[in-house]
Amino acid sequence: MSRIEQFQYDNRIVRAFGMAAFIFGIVGMLVGLILAFQLIYPELNLSQYGISYTTFGRLRPLHTNAVIFAFVGNGIFMGVYYSLQRLLKARMFSDTLSWIHFWGWQVIILCAAVSLPAGLTTSSEYAELAWPIDLLITLIWVVFGINMFGTIIKRREDHLYVAIWFYIATWITVAVLHIVRSFELPYSMFGSYPLFSGVQDALVQWWYGHNAVAFFLTTPYLGMMYYFLPKAANRPVYSYKLSIIHFWALIFIYIWAGPHHLLYSSMPDWVQSLGTVFSIMLIAPSWGGMLNGLLTLRGAWDRVRQDPVLKFFVVAVTAYGMATFEGPMLSIKSFNAISHFTDWTIAHVHVGALGWNGFLTFGALYWLWPRMYRTQLYSVKLANMHFWIGTLGIIFYAIPLYWAGWTQSLMWKEFTPAGTLAWGNFLDTVTQIIPMYAMRALGGTLFFTGVCIGVYNLYKTAAQGTFLANEAAEAPAREPHVKAAGDHWHKWIEGRPMQMLLWSTIAISIGGLVQIVPMVFVESQVPKIATVEPYTPLELEGRDIYIREGCVGCHSQQIRPFRDETVRYGEYSKSGEYIYDRPFLWGSKRTGPDLHREGGRYPDSWHYNHMIDPRSMSPGSIMPQYPQLADNELDLSLLPAKITALRKLGTPYPEGFEERAIADAQAQAKKVADKLKSEGIKDEGMETKEMMAIIAYLQRLGTDIKK
Amino acid sequence: MKFAKYLFMLLLLAGAAPAWSQAATTAAPDSAASQLPQIMAYILTIAGAALFIVAMVYVVKVNQFLYKRVLDLEASKSGVKLPQEQMAGAEVEADSFWASMRKKYWEDAVPIEREGEILSHHDFDGIRELDNRLPPWWVNMFIITIVWAVAYMFYYHWGGDGPSSADEYNMEVEEAKKQEAIALAGMADAVDESNVTALTDAGALGEGQTIFKNVCAACHGQGGEGTVGPNMTDEYWIHGGGIKNVFKTIKYGVPEKGMIAWQSQLSASDMQKVASYILTLQGTNPPNPKEPQGVIWKEEAAAPTDTIPATETPAEGK
Repeated sequence: MSRIEQFQYDNRIVRAFGMAAFIFGIVGMLVGLILAFQLIYPELNLSQYGISYTTFGRLRPLHTNAVIFAFVGNGIFMGVYYSLQRLLKARMFSDTLSWIHFWGWQVIILCAAVSLPAGLTTSSEYAELAWPIDLLITLIWVVFGINMFGTIIKRREDHLYVAIWFYIATWITVAVLHIVRSFELPYSMFGSYPLFSGVQDALVQWWYGHNAVAFFLTTPYLGMMYYFLPKAANRPVYSYKLSIIHFWALIFIYIWAGPHHLLYSSMPDWVQSLGTVFSIMLIAPSWGGMLNGLLTLRGAWDRVRQDPVLKFFVVAVTAYGMATFEGPMLSIKSFNAISHFTDWTIAHVHVGALGWNGFLTFGALYWLWPRMYRTQLYSVKLANMHFWIGTLGIIFYAIPLYWAGWTQSLMWKEFTPAGTLAWGNFLDTVTQIIPMYAMRALGGTLFFTGVCIGVYNLYKTAAQGTFLANEAAEAPAREPHVKAAGDHWHKWIEGRPMQMLLWSTIAISIGGLVQIVPMVFVESQVPKIATVEPYTPLELEGRDIYIREGCVGCHSQQIRPFRDETVRYGEYSKSGEYIYDRPFLWGSKRTGPDLHREGGRYPDSWHYNHMIDPRSMSPGSIMPQYPQLADNELDLSLLPAKITALRKLGTPYPEGFEERAIADAQAQAKKVADKLKSEGIKDEGMETKEMMAIIAYLQRLGTDIKK
Repeated sequence: MKFAKYLFMLLLLAGAAPAWSQAATTAAPDSAASQLPQIMAYILTIAGAALFIVAMVYVVKVNQFLYKRVLDLEASKSGVKLPQEQMAGAEVEADSFWASMRKKYWEDAVPIEREGEILSHHDFDGIRELDNRLPPWWVNMFIITIVWAVAYMFYYHWGGDGPSSADEYNMEVEEAKKQEAIALAGMADAVDESNVTALTDAGALGEGQTIFKNVCAACHGQGGEGTVGPNMTDEYWIHGGGIKNVFKTIKYGVPEKGMIAWQSQLSASDMQKVASYILTLQGTNPPNPKEPQGVIWKEEAAAPTDTIPATETPAEGK
């Protein structure tokens, strides 16, 4: 037996991440609540007063980013920094790196909180942040990696526990995803265009977006579950074998499933089918985690009744099980045809986010706070109250949205016997579900109330205890494992973190490579359409305004090959139509109608009036007003840089076009303004306003194919 | 564990549901059932099947219970002492086939009392691990999904004749065309621009008004005063007044000027109702009228004709 060593665990960094998780949880959920109410009362967008920072389109990415990267992100680091030290019997590698990691991450969040409402966005879901922030994220993630692997290297525990396998897989996969998704060419301080266009950009996006769910919201939280649940229940983990199989199967299969976000889209069928089948094969590996969690509670169920921590964990793991069953079901094409673009998807992700991530975080916080503050939880009663209000909140959130999703989808698809759409006016399918939106807002309010109770409870717990910043511990120095006769084969890799990293990297790379490489390098995957041409400079500016305002948050640009969609919107979308779309703007939700064939559908003056006040053209519409588009001067100064950047990426603008681009845009703006005048719009000086660009872009949409 | 069993069964049923729902819809092609969207068929099928499973499990349980009661009664009547301890304690031996099947394919956890046998010697910060067998039902589910995945890829890509997304679309449209033809043939609704007449009964005009507010008012104003689109209340018409011309403009639209073709969104009778309603707006003088566009239309001058007058004046715009 080697010498016993004395050391201390760093609790201060855990507390910092825990507090940040709670604070940003409050912020992120509050923004979510505002969005929920904006859908019922469009006046809450405030844009009618000329304030452009608070529209739904700009706040939606703020909500998703705040909840994913600020709330759950800080939750992950809290869980990792606490459990990693203890599972390895070592203090974190470097306190300095810990604090660089902490403050770096908060700075990133702050940048996001400023830049997203300001309209600086790439519009790629969960990767909206501008390129300088992307660089900062990369840097901080590397700091986290060095700190984690440094701790692993100086560990006193030879074998890595299953939680740490998940942490390692999380780290490498998020790194790969983030870097590949951020392949972009800057044209200004904050603006950039992605390397890939159209269908390829869509594939890379959902490979990223889906696996952000997998490796940011799932695997690190599974790791945390493997630590906190057996600790709180004081029971051994149900099955070591199950841990091994479900870990490797999960990380290998998850990465393939991204294309299930693109079913019935212009993506080639083979990619879609891979998304479907790997999603179905994902049920068992996902449930492996749920089973190992729930079965660990065998013999401890009596305590679940009394201990709020365990209650939170049980609901979290159950929500995880439900969401990971529902996800594969939604990947079956016949289900997806109904669910996609509707609130069904929103309900689905919130079962995961509120139930799995939210409740696991709260459970862990309630477990950690009394331990770090050397005291008892201030009030078990309040914790129970938080649990019940939160659970009720999830139910009130999810059920109305499921109902809304089904209702709207069925209305979209309903035909009269004579072959006309029963609900030809899209708006009717929106006003129909507004009562359900109201119920959802109530559910969100309940959940939010619970979180506030939780903050109070933890604050009081901290106030009555004394914080233990450095927790003394002791353990023998590490002795490399000596292979024994009855050892499980997997023990081999558990003592070798670098092999663990290497094999995880291989496991998570295969799926992405098989799907993305052929799509990028085999030209026949995206059949060319001769009449499709690059956007004019003015349309390009209009497109960037569309991106800035977050229109993609509510409007898709992807007509699926269904009879109801071709009757409603026009010919279904072809992959060759998107080759100059950087970024792609297919969207994932239709709160408003699809816009892919919007060009020529309405007169310019309709768009002009509709932008200034949607309700003047469509009474009952819940779209925000955009009067500032008619006031803002159109800034064309970046056009030459944009044209040059796009040409470098492959858009065939002729040499020297960048010098003519501004004049070209002004000439086209003049034409739009003249047309508006002829249609009776009397505003002065229209030709220099942003409205000209957005109208030019909307009128171009989907028209090339008709030439 | 129970809920997991049922969820597993539901998964299997979800696979079978398309076949059943298809069978259900082909069985009743022209009833309301064919309109029943696919998803409802799914949900009903799965819910029904789940109910069926629960009912069957219940029946089996009741049966077992009654059987035991009967045995007990028989025993007490005849005075034979039933080997109680054997039934409870040695159940495994007594029912070895089913017990072993269950162990092999369904559930095989080491009981909590004996879990010391499979408990790891090592602990991680106090966490120990059991080495329970993989739950057999879970392994089976995994295998089934893998087999399903291979079959799916084979059917759609590797040699089977599964339809592509585009094929599915074409089939859907073909089928719809047939259904439409049948529906239209049996309908008095078959008005078109050659035989349409202006309706005058209040009911039809009321429906026309509702449609107008929903779809036309956006461009032509709530009172038909005209905003983006032309004024409907004056006697000037760009594409001809009178029921036949108005019907025709609604039906086919004027795409180059932004007027949508409504024929795919409104039925013929709806277009007739809204066209009739529009004619009633003549001379209503709503506030903020748009300036007149087109030419004066006199009903008697242009008798029954379905041609658009050549006097259209594009210079005035819409």
